[in-house]
Amino acid sequence: MFEKVLIANRGEIALRVIRSCRERGLRTVAVHSDVDADALHARLADEAVCIGPGDPVRSYLHIPAIIAAAEITGADAVHPGYGFLSENPEFAETCAQCGLRFIGPLPEQMRQWGDKVSARALAKSLGLPTLEGSDLLEDVDDAVSKAEGLGFPLLLKASGGGGGRGMQVLRSAEEVRAAFETARAESRAAFGRGDLYFERYLERPRHIEFQILGDTQGNVHVLGERECSIQRRHQKLLEEAPSVALSDEQRQDMSATIRRAIKEVGYVSAGTLEFLLDDDGELTFLEMNPRIQVEHPVTELVMGVDLVGEQIRVAEGLALDLPERPLTPRGHAIECRINAEDPDTFIPSPGRITELHMAGGTGVRVDSGVYGGGLVPPYYDPLIAKVIVHAPTRQQAIARMRRALSETIIAGIRTNIPLHQRVLQHPAFEQGRISTRFLQELQG
Amino acid sequence: MKLDLDQLRDLIRLLDEANLTEIEVEQDDDRIRVRREPAREVSAAGFTSTNEPARPTRPIPPAGDAPSADDRTYVTSPFVGTFYRAPTPDGEPFVEIGDAITPGQVICIVEAMKLMNEIEAEVAGTVVEVFVDNGKAVEFGDRLFRIEPD
Repeated sequence: MFEKVLIANRGEIALRVIRSCRERGLRTVAVHSDVDADALHARLADEAVCIGPGDPVRSYLHIPAIIAAAEITGADAVHPGYGFLSENPEFAETCAQCGLRFIGPLPEQMRQWGDKVSARALAKSLGLPTLEGSDLLEDVDDAVSKAEGLGFPLLLKASGGGGGRGMQVLRSAEEVRAAFETARAESRAAFGRGDLYFERYLERPRHIEFQILGDTQGNVHVLGERECSIQRRHQKLLEEAPSVALSDEQRQDMSATIRRAIKEVGYVSAGTLEFLLDDDGELTFLEMNPRIQVEHPVTELVMGVDLVGEQIRVAEGLALDLPERPLTPRGHAIECRINAEDPDTFIPSPGRITELHMAGGTGVRVDSGVYGGGLVPPYYDPLIAKVIVHAPTRQQAIARMRRALSETIIAGIRTNIPLHQRVLQHPAFEQGRISTRFLQELQG
Repeated sequence: MKLDLDQLRDLIRLLDEANLTEIEVEQDDDRIRVRREPAREVSAAGFTSTNEPARPTRPIPPAGDAPSADDRTYVTSPFVGTFYRAPTPDGEPFVEIGDAITPGQVICIVEAMKLMNEIEAEVAGTVVEVFVDNGKAVEFGDRLFRIEPD
C-alpha cells in the first residue's frame, strides 16, 4: 500500500489525482514551477515542492528534479497525469530504478503502443479492425507508388506525431510530390524523426474511443466508449458518453473484441483505444493512448467508476475493483473543456482571473485547476477547467450543460464558453448529427 | 545543459573499470566531472547503491534570471534536492560566514538522484549569511547564502 503519492503534473488533472488519493487516505505531494507557486494544485496538496522555472523543459518535464522532489518528501509512488511525462517510458523506468512506483502502464507497454505504425500493425495482428494505410514511406517515389496503390484521398502522417500536428490531406500524386519533403522536414523538427506513413482519409468520420483498464493479475475491462468528434485543429473540445452512433449490440461486440485483444498482450492501468467511425458504421482502430485521458470523467459518470482510483489500486498490485460482467452505461454525460483562449481565433488568453464562479446543482461536476485571483501562466496548455454533466438522456444532458455554462463566470481572461454554447444550441448537434468536421463547418 | 543519464552512467562505469578517481569531460560549453573517494566500493550503475555511491559532480550556476541589484546578493538553489555544505560527511564546509569568495568557486552541493551538483559562486564577495542547515531539503529558488559583493 502506498502512503504518499507525488503528482508529476499541474492544473486540473493534478487536482483530480489529489482527490482520489485523499479519498483513499494517501498523502499527496505537488510539484510546481516557480510561476505556479500559488497554483491550486500546489495549494491543495499536503506538500508542495518547487522543481524549476516556468519553462516546462526545466520543471514538469525535468526527470531528475521530479525524482529529487520524491526523494526529499519520501513519496513512494508517482502519478504522471496526462501530457508532460505520462507517456515517457524512460521516466517510468527511472522511477522504478529509484524505488518509486509509477502509476501507469509498464514501460514496454508504452513502447509497444507509442509508435503509430507499429501500434496499428499490432492491433491488426490482434484481430482489431484497422484503417487501411501504408508502412513507413522510404522516399518520395515510394510514397507516390504506395499512394497510387491505396487510392486517394489519403492522410500523410508522422509516425512519431501526436495532437494532430504534421497531418496533411492529399488528393493526387502531384500533391504527394509537393508535400512529401516538407512534411518529412517538419516531422523531423517536431518529433525528432522524419518517419511518415499514409492512412485512408475519411471525409466526415466520427472519433470514437474505448476506455480500458487492466491489472497485474491479467484482468482487462472495457468501460464503453466516448464520442469526441467535436474538435478544433484535431484537439478535442467537447466529449460525450455514450455515442449516439453506436447500437448496444455494436458496443458489446467491439468491447468483447477489444477485451480479447488486449488480454492477449496484457495491459496494466488505464488506456484508450481510438477509432474512427465511417458513414457505413464501421469502426477502425487509429491509435492507443497509454495514459489517463482529459475526457475520462464522462466515462466515470456513466459507468460509476473512479478511473484514477482504479489506477492507484492497480499500481499497488491489487486487482481491479470491478464486477466480472461487462458494465453498461447509465444515462448520458457531456464534458466541455474550458480553455483560456479567444472563442473565435483560439489565440491563448493567459492572465489574472479577477472573478470566478463555477456551476453547481444537480448532475454537474467541475474539475478545475484555477481560482478567483489566481494566475493563468502563459507557459502551459490553455485548459483551465472541465465542466461535466450527467443526466438520464442526451437531450437532458445538453439542457443541463447549457444551464451549467450559463451560470459559469470567469472574468479577467477570455474563455471558449461562447463557442461551447453555439455548439450546444446547434440543431445538428442536438440531433447527434456530428463529425470531426462539425466545428470547422460551424465556423464557416 | 541537458542532464544525460546514459552518458553519466557510462562515465561512472568507465571510472570504475579503469579504477580512476576522477574523470572530467568538456564539450562545447558543457562540463561534466565524475569523481569518487579513493579506494571505496562503487556500484557499477552508481544509482541503485545505498552505500557510498559514486560522486558525479556537475557545476551548475545558481538559479535566477537577470537578477536585480538586491537579488544579486543571494545565492539561490538551481535545483531541488538535498543541501550539503561540505564535500564529504566529515569534511570541512566549502565556505564559512566571513569567507571571501570568487566567481567559479564551489560553495555548496545540492544532491539530486545521487548526483552531487556543485554550486558555484557567480560574484566576488563575502559570505554573510547561510540560510539552510547541512543535509536539509531545498527547492528550486530557495535562498542558500547571502553574499556581500566586493
